[in-house]
Amino acid sequence: MVAAESSRLLAAHQPVRVELAKGRPRAQGAELAVLLRGCLSPAWVDLTLSASQAAELAFGLCLRDYRAPQIRFHDDDDAPLPLPDRVVIRCADPAAAQAQWEKRQAVAHGVFLARDLITAPGNLLGPSELAEQAQALSALGVNVEVLNPTEHGLNLLAAVGQASTRPPCLVVLRWNGGAPTERPLVLVGKGITFDTGGISIKPAEHMEEMKGDMGGAAAVLGALKSVALRGAKANVAGVLAIAENMPGSGALRPGDIIRSYKGLNVEVVDTDAEGRLVLADALAWACAHLKPRTLVDAATLTGAVVRTLGRHHAGLYCNRDTLAAKLLKQGKAEDEPLWRLPLAVSCDDDFRSDVADWKNCGWGKVPDNDDAARFLQHFVAASVPWAHLDIAGVSERDEDHAWGPKGAVGFGVRLFDALAGG
Amino acid sequence: MKISFAKPHLPDQGAIVVGVLENKVFTPTAQALDDLSGGGIKRAVDASKFTGKKDQVLTILAPAGTKVSRVVLVGLGKADSIDAQAAQSFGGTGLAQVLSSGDSQVAVAIDAVPGLKISEADFAANAAFGALLRSYRFDKYFTKEKKEDKPSVKKLAVLTAAPGAKTAFAPLEAIAEGVFLTRDVVSEPANVIYPESLAAQCKTLTELGVEVEILGEKQMKKLGMGSLLGVGQGSDRESQLVVMRWLGAKDKDAQPVAFIGKGVCFDTGGISIKPAGGMEDMKWDMAGAGAVIGAIKALAGRKAKANVVGVVGLVENMPSGNAQRPGDVVTSMSGQTIEVINTDAEGRLVLADALWYTKETYKPKIMVDLATLTGAIIISLGGEHAGLFSNDDKLADKLTKAGTAVGESLWRLPMGDAYDKQLKSDIADMKNVGGREGGSITAAQFLKRFVGDVAWAHLDIAGTAWSKKDTATCAKGATAFGVRLLDRLVADHYED
Repeated sequence: MVAAESSRLLAAHQPVRVELAKGRPRAQGAELAVLLRGCLSPAWVDLTLSASQAAELAFGLCLRDYRAPQIRFHDDDDAPLPLPDRVVIRCADPAAAQAQWEKRQAVAHGVFLARDLITAPGNLLGPSELAEQAQALSALGVNVEVLNPTEHGLNLLAAVGQASTRPPCLVVLRWNGGAPTERPLVLVGKGITFDTGGISIKPAEHMEEMKGDMGGAAAVLGALKSVALRGAKANVAGVLAIAENMPGSGALRPGDIIRSYKGLNVEVVDTDAEGRLVLADALAWACAHLKPRTLVDAATLTGAVVRTLGRHHAGLYCNRDTLAAKLLKQGKAEDEPLWRLPLAVSCDDDFRSDVADWKNCGWGKVPDNDDAARFLQHFVAASVPWAHLDIAGVSERDEDHAWGPKGAVGFGVRLFDALAGG
Repeated sequence: MKISFAKPHLPDQGAIVVGVLENKVFTPTAQALDDLSGGGIKRAVDASKFTGKKDQVLTILAPAGTKVSRVVLVGLGKADSIDAQAAQSFGGTGLAQVLSSGDSQVAVAIDAVPGLKISEADFAANAAFGALLRSYRFDKYFTKEKKEDKPSVKKLAVLTAAPGAKTAFAPLEAIAEGVFLTRDVVSEPANVIYPESLAAQCKTLTELGVEVEILGEKQMKKLGMGSLLGVGQGSDRESQLVVMRWLGAKDKDAQPVAFIGKGVCFDTGGISIKPAGGMEDMKWDMAGAGAVIGAIKALAGRKAKANVVGVVGLVENMPSGNAQRPGDVVTSMSGQTIEVINTDAEGRLVLADALWYTKETYKPKIMVDLATLTGAIIISLGGEHAGLFSNDDKLADKLTKAGTAVGESLWRLPMGDAYDKQLKSDIADMKNVGGREGGSITAAQFLKRFVGDVAWAHLDIAGTAWSKKDTATCAKGATAFGVRLLDRLVADHYED
């Protein structure tokens, strides 16, 4: 796709006038993505746009036209028609538009990586395959390290993955585009490549959606890809807590007590509340090793957040009002909306254990989304500005939406890229 | 139980089973017994509600004037409604009355009443067949059963004047052997019958001249059977594909008839695990394979003049750290990809590769698969009919008729593109489930994608493979539904 080219009228095709909703060029681009399907190539778009508007229009067009990877023998007869090979967006300053579009395209590639990974089935994307996807970013100048949880005292992460024949890992990615003295933005993602619930197994209905329980890790990976591709002048680190949660003869049992990386002992009463376990170790490890300027984690963490906020806002929990305000603002600007929920000390009562420091969840009528966030807070150094995004309700959509087709949204990539800046 | 044929006579020991026609019309043997007892039998009948309606029974203990221990009257209904099945029912019902009575010998009197729909020889042979089928009991695991609870009958004599009875019984006895093998393997618990041990059972058919070939996981992987292998990957027990060839036609190279069976030796549901209540029934989720194995044994046993191939896909569906996950996409031998939404819809995944393999390897005239495939078929048809799905009206018709003839009833259900659409996947060629509506039909549509142009039928036997109550020819438990049906289909249409 070409974002801009010198203005030259096209004689071969009949010009078509379409009505676009008044709004931001990015939204208009997304709208055009549907309208232009099946058009002859090249298609020309003439909206008298500035360079930055043209880049934004191309960004929207590109995001909306995402096609999930297909694993088919027969072609899909119902697939939407493709966009023209070339879409030419006329604008005042093509060279400037092209430069800006390349930055935007980097973000789109990050979003697409996240979507691809979320869509991939559990047999094709297990812990090692997800780690390999992270390692592939080293080609872009990202430093990637894969840690064995048991060798590093990440016992909660190890415990969640212990029944699977595919071992868990902690992946650390570092993009050092900023000044060497600048402390990094650290992004932490929950990467359960498939979540059966373990011995506390989930009901069968809709369990297939649990292939997407690594949506947080996918968002972090997508964000790292986008900052690296656009050469962001910022220091950004990613930490992925990767495991497959399976039942099996060697599985973690309800009631098991595990000593976390931080040293706190956790009584695992529900093996299906595993996300907070792997994140607890990842957050504690990040605080101890990465000196974060800001720490943000993303996780498809609780069903309760879906009941609370539905499918249009991710839950935001934050220990600093300034960081919360910044995230809310950027979420709104990127149309990845957040809604702040409380980090409440009173939640501690829900998951106090009789035999260990904490249980991993409370049973019954407790606000599990709030409890999970508060649980995580016990593993984050109080000195670190930290936010937790519970994206369980927004990571996937069951119908087409403004920025893409139904399925994986890649929620968080644009927000994290904006947060990284540079 | 040993079966013999003898000339008509009134035995001087043991029990005797005799027929009575509707409206208390005594058969000659019944009349003879009544005469000996000075009208005692008639008086007993008049004192009861017994009228001779089909399958009614009345047992009279040691009537005076006779030397028998008991007389079992069995209602025959109208003479002109006595066909092979009624004869089987007569023999089975009669035997059931004395099986555990303490008597060790029983005689079954065959009377050539006027108007019989079948010959007397066939009447006798089928009565013996019915009694033999009813005598089956899966009791090998009772170690402390009291003697009085065990079946007492050791010998059964069929009393008939027809000289051809014994000859007519020979092929039926072979069929019963097939039925018993099926009932055995279906009844065995899953710790005893699992893919490799069931394959070993198949191997025993070589004694009858059946060629048996067993493919393990390595060979199936080479063939690209990702659909079948995915189901078994969570189990410690190796999946097997067993091919049984009975080449009884004059031309050994003639296109065979192919039977394919679902052999999920135990079905926990896998990661989409089933609720605990009733899960023990899932030991018989290999009843389709069991029926195919039994049918091959029956055909070989009676030396059917036809080429028949039986293919069974044997797996165990377990959850574990290596189990298939919901959402996994697998590639079948056909090349078509499948998104496994529910690991408990596994039978179709096994059959998909088994059907394709059979089609490609043997280019059969017809393919019929049997499977305890869906719970939905139990909701639709209960235990009276198995569901029949087919892409070929003639084959469907042949199967329905064969089923009616042997008392294994089928009921045809619809197929069509609208149902097929329910299998649409967002990322693969198909999903393995099509939602709640029409669950048995969408399962059949799924299978249809793996049969090409071959005339094919699918029998969903989930409701008929296991009986919770005794019937005339089958004690409660495994029914071996399908064995007699497949044998009959071959006998009626595919023998030289």
